[in-house]
Amino acid sequence: MFNVLIASLPYLLKGAQVTLWLSLVVVSLGTLLGIGLGILAAIGNIFLRTLITTYIFALRGVPVLIVMFLGYYACPALGFRVNAYIAVGAAQIIYIGAFVAEIMRSAIASVPPGQVAAARSLGMRRFTVLRQVVLPQAARIAVPPILNNSLTAIKQTSYASIVGVWELTYAAREIVERTLAAFQIFLGVMAIYFLICYPLSLAARWSERHLLVNH
Amino acid sequence: MPMIEVRNLRKSFGVLDVLKGVSFEVEKGEVVVVLGPSGSGKSTMLRCINHLEDYESGEILVDGAVIGYSTDDQCRRVARPEAVNAKLREQVGMVFQSFNLFPHRTVIENVMMGPVHVQGVGRGEARELARVLLSKVGLASKAEEYPSKLSGGQQQRVAIARALAMNPKVMLFDEVTSALDPELVAEVLRVIRQLALDGMTMIIVTHEIHFARDVGDRIIFMDGGVIVEQGTPSQILANPSAERLKLFLRRYQGDYLAA
Repeated sequence: MFNVLIASLPYLLKGAQVTLWLSLVVVSLGTLLGIGLGILAAIGNIFLRTLITTYIFALRGVPVLIVMFLGYYACPALGFRVNAYIAVGAAQIIYIGAFVAEIMRSAIASVPPGQVAAARSLGMRRFTVLRQVVLPQAARIAVPPILNNSLTAIKQTSYASIVGVWELTYAAREIVERTLAAFQIFLGVMAIYFLICYPLSLAARWSERHLLVNH
Repeated sequence: MPMIEVRNLRKSFGVLDVLKGVSFEVEKGEVVVVLGPSGSGKSTMLRCINHLEDYESGEILVDGAVIGYSTDDQCRRVARPEAVNAKLREQVGMVFQSFNLFPHRTVIENVMMGPVHVQGVGRGEARELARVLLSKVGLASKAEEYPSKLSGGQQQRVAIARALAMNPKVMLFDEVTSALDPELVAEVLRVIRQLALDGMTMIIVTHEIHFARDVGDRIIFMDGGVIVEQGTPSQILANPSAERLKLFLRRYQGDYLAA
């Protein structure tokens, strides 16, 4: 019964490779963007704060698929052609960035004000306070939710197949159309996604247990 | 020249006037204890001296340098750049009610933070200094622990060592025993008393009236954002003249006797 899955495994694994690369790129760039914006939202002036908060709220309120559609169809409509991978990737980076920015901003806000007062009373400059006192504590708070967010983001790369980006889910649909063995193939695809995500799930768990210990 | 000079200090939070013209001086080596009910502006005043808070008008001088603001050639008040204020803050050590040790650093690293990241002292030298200071507050054996493993009294003594590491000219204590269990208060007061004997200039905001009498050269009683009465401990505590001070003393000494 699963012969068809075994036969199509090489093709699926090639798709998995693309999914892995796509995930790696969008998650790392999106997370970096989010961390940067989150820090700016926490320490920037009112103009920057408003700008970033608007971005966060706008993106949090829409489905990632719609952002991808926008990225994929808007570019040609505006008169320039963009590779589907780039359009979809950029849409995802912007989407992930919004979530990570909010995680980072709230993590920084949750560092008690007494910590800043103590650091400043020692004569630390603003940047030193941020670098030595605020960010190390905020990072411990932010890492577990950022890892969880990365998990969601990896799984969301499967939406890219809808606009014609060839990756794991797209490859699976091709095989299903040819073989009609939907059950076996998608079961196999589930297993592959799970194997990609599982190490990260473990890392999220580990970070929760080890980073949040108050020391 | 006095070590600290506060002239007609005014500060408000929105419509709430917290400090309504406070003036006093602290001589070098003098220990001034500030008493007063909650909300009388004591803590805010301390935070202004360190310029952790802005203030609306008046002047604060520490060792002759104006804190927070300068006056330009048209007599307008100009906020000093943050770097200048940070520089001035180095000379003023502060200890807080809630300790505020850095939880992600060990005890000795907490004490090394100032010298290393503000004064640019090498880590080895800073570690030596930190060891000496931790011995001084009786916590040399806890150097490698994290703050969360320490009792409140021990954490507060580390906080004092951390402030002393900057070799400040003045120390400010903001109700440093208020968050402590009663049996831990004495160990912290002992450290502060030793500092007084060493000749450190200090302003101590506290509710410990016995300690105020014991260690204070002078007591300032604040209420409602103004200084109501000041004098030597014997004057203030034995013969209070202001009605509000009498009330305050009755309440706190009553608490003390009851406890």
